[in-house]
Amino acid sequence: MADSAIGRPAVRWGALRRHRARRWSGVSPWQAAPVTLALLVFTAYPLVYLVALALTESTLAQPLREWVGTDNFRAALENDVFTGSLWRSTVFAVLAASVQLVAGTALALALHARGRRLGLLGGFLLLPLVTPPVMVGVAWKLLLAPVGGALNGALGLAGLAPVNPLGDERGAFLALVVIDTWQWTPFVALLVYAALLGVPGELREAALLDGAGRLRLLVSVVLPYVRPALLAVLLLRLVGGFKVFDIVYVVTAGGPGAATNTSTYEIQRTALESFKVGTAAAETLLFSLVVGAVATLVAAVRRRAVRAER
Amino acid sequence: MSRRWITALLALVAALMAVPLVYIVSLSVRSRDDVLNGGLLPSTLFWRNWPDTFGSIDLPRHLANSWIVAAGGAALTLVIAVPAAYYTARARRGGERLLSLVLASYCAPPVVAVLPLFYLLRTAGLGNTLTGLALVTGLANVPVAVWLLDGFVRRVPREVEEAAWLDGLGSWGALRHVVVPLAAPGIVASGLICFFLGYNELLFALSFAQETSVQTLPVALSRFQGDRNIQFGQQAVASIVGVAPVYVLALLAQRRLVAGLSAGAVK
Repeated sequence: MADSAIGRPAVRWGALRRHRARRWSGVSPWQAAPVTLALLVFTAYPLVYLVALALTESTLAQPLREWVGTDNFRAALENDVFTGSLWRSTVFAVLAASVQLVAGTALALALHARGRRLGLLGGFLLLPLVTPPVMVGVAWKLLLAPVGGALNGALGLAGLAPVNPLGDERGAFLALVVIDTWQWTPFVALLVYAALLGVPGELREAALLDGAGRLRLLVSVVLPYVRPALLAVLLLRLVGGFKVFDIVYVVTAGGPGAATNTSTYEIQRTALESFKVGTAAAETLLFSLVVGAVATLVAAVRRRAVRAER
Repeated sequence: MSRRWITALLALVAALMAVPLVYIVSLSVRSRDDVLNGGLLPSTLFWRNWPDTFGSIDLPRHLANSWIVAAGGAALTLVIAVPAAYYTARARRGGERLLSLVLASYCAPPVVAVLPLFYLLRTAGLGNTLTGLALVTGLANVPVAVWLLDGFVRRVPREVEEAAWLDGLGSWGALRHVVVPLAAPGIVASGLICFFLGYNELLFALSFAQETSVQTLPVALSRFQGDRNIQFGQQAVASIVGVAPVYVLALLAQRRLVAGLSAGAVK
C-alpha cells in the first residue's frame, strides 16, 4: 500500500545504506521505555503485590497488615466454589473457543467462496464486536427470560412448552457459551477470512491440476496453510474465554447455585464484595497458573506449526 | 456448494445475529405489560420508556464518563504503543523479545490487576476518578495495540526511513515524520479498536469507579438489574443510547477496522 504511494527508492540509497547501516540501527531503546514502564505497572507490579497480599492478611482499607504464611492459599483451595470455578473457567474457555473457531472458520470459508470483497457484510460482522458485552448480556437475558422473554413467546406461538435455560445448571452454562459465541464468532470469521486471502492462488491451482476435489483442496491445502493463523485465533479466544466476566455478572450472577461461577467472577466478588483480600489474591495467583498452563500449551503447538511451515 | 446456497446461508446467519439487537430495539418501545405478554415485536408503540429512562438514571453523565475513559485510555495506549511497535518491528532480536513479552502479558487475565491497582490508585489519590480508570484502561490495551501496530509498521518500506535518517532525522524524528504518517491508517484503526475496548470494559470500571458520578455506561447498565422490577424498556433504551454512537463510528470506519484486525492476524 505504502509502496505505491512512495515509489521505489533511488538505487544509490542502497550503497549509502550499506555504508551507514552499522552505525544506524534505526530505533532507540528509549522507544521501548514507555511500554516497559506500562508492563511494569500493569503486569510485574501486580504479580509481586499479589504474592505479598496472598501471604498476608489485608483489608481493603489497610493492605499487608500481618504475615499469615500459606493460610490464604489453604483457604482458597478449601473453598469449593473457587476450585470448582477453575474447572468451570477452563471448560468454558475451551468449549467456547472451539465452537467459535469452528463456526468462525465455516463462516469465513463461506464468505471467501463468495468473493474477495466483504462489502456490507464486513460492517455487519463488526457490530457484535463493538457491542458492549454488558448490553449483549442484557439482550440475551431478556430474550431468555422465563416470563416475557422472546424465546418462550416464540415457543408459545409454535404451541411448544416454555423453557427456562437460565434456571437450569447446565442450561445456564450453555447459554453463556452461546452468548459468548454470538459475540465473538464474527471476530474469528474476520481474522480467518483475512488469513484465507493470503493463501496463494498458485497453490490452489496446482492442487486442482493434480485432480484434488474441493474437499481435498480444503483439507490438504487451505487449512494447513492457515493453521498458524487458526491457532493464533484459538489462543486469543481461549484467553478471552478465561477473561469472561461481563456476561456472567449480568446474565447469571454465577448461578444457579455455582453453575456459572467462573474464576474471574468469583475472585472479583471475593475481593471487592466480601472483602477477603488475601484469599482473593491467592485465588488470583492459582487462576493465573491455570491460564498460563493452557496458554503455554496452545502457544507451543502454534510455534511448532509455524516452524513446520518454514 | 453453489453461490446461491452460500448467500442463503449467510443471510440466515446474519438474521440470527440480528435477533438480540432487533429485540432490544423492540423492547425500547414496549410497555412492561406488553413485554410480559411475550413476543418479539411490540403490539403497540409505547414511547414513554425514552423520557422515563433519562429520568431514572443520569444517562448523559454515564455516556460522558464512558467517552472520557475510552478516549483518554485510547490516547494513552497509542502514546505508549506506537513507539513500542516501531521498536518491535525494527529492532531485530530485542524487538522480537519485547513483542513476545508484550503478548505474554496479554495472556494474564485482567483480574490479576484488580487488587494491586486498586491500592495503587488509592495511594495515588486516583481511586473513584475517571482519570484513574482511563489510566488503567489505557495500560490494559497496550498489548493489543502493539500487536496490531507491529504489523502496520513492518509494512512501512525501510528505504523511506533510511532516507529520512540520511536527511539527519534521529529515531524519534523518523518515527514522527515517516512512520507515523505512513502507518496512519493502521494507527487510526488500532486507536479505534482500543476505544471500543475501553468503552465496553466492565471489570475495571466496576472495581475502580463505583461512585455514581464516575460510573461508565456498562456499569450503569449492569446496575439496572438490581431493581426488583426489571425495567426491560428502560434498560433497552439505555443500551441503544449507549451503543448507537459506537455503531455509527464502527460503520464509518468499517474498511479500516477490518483491515486493522486483519493486519494483526496474518503475521
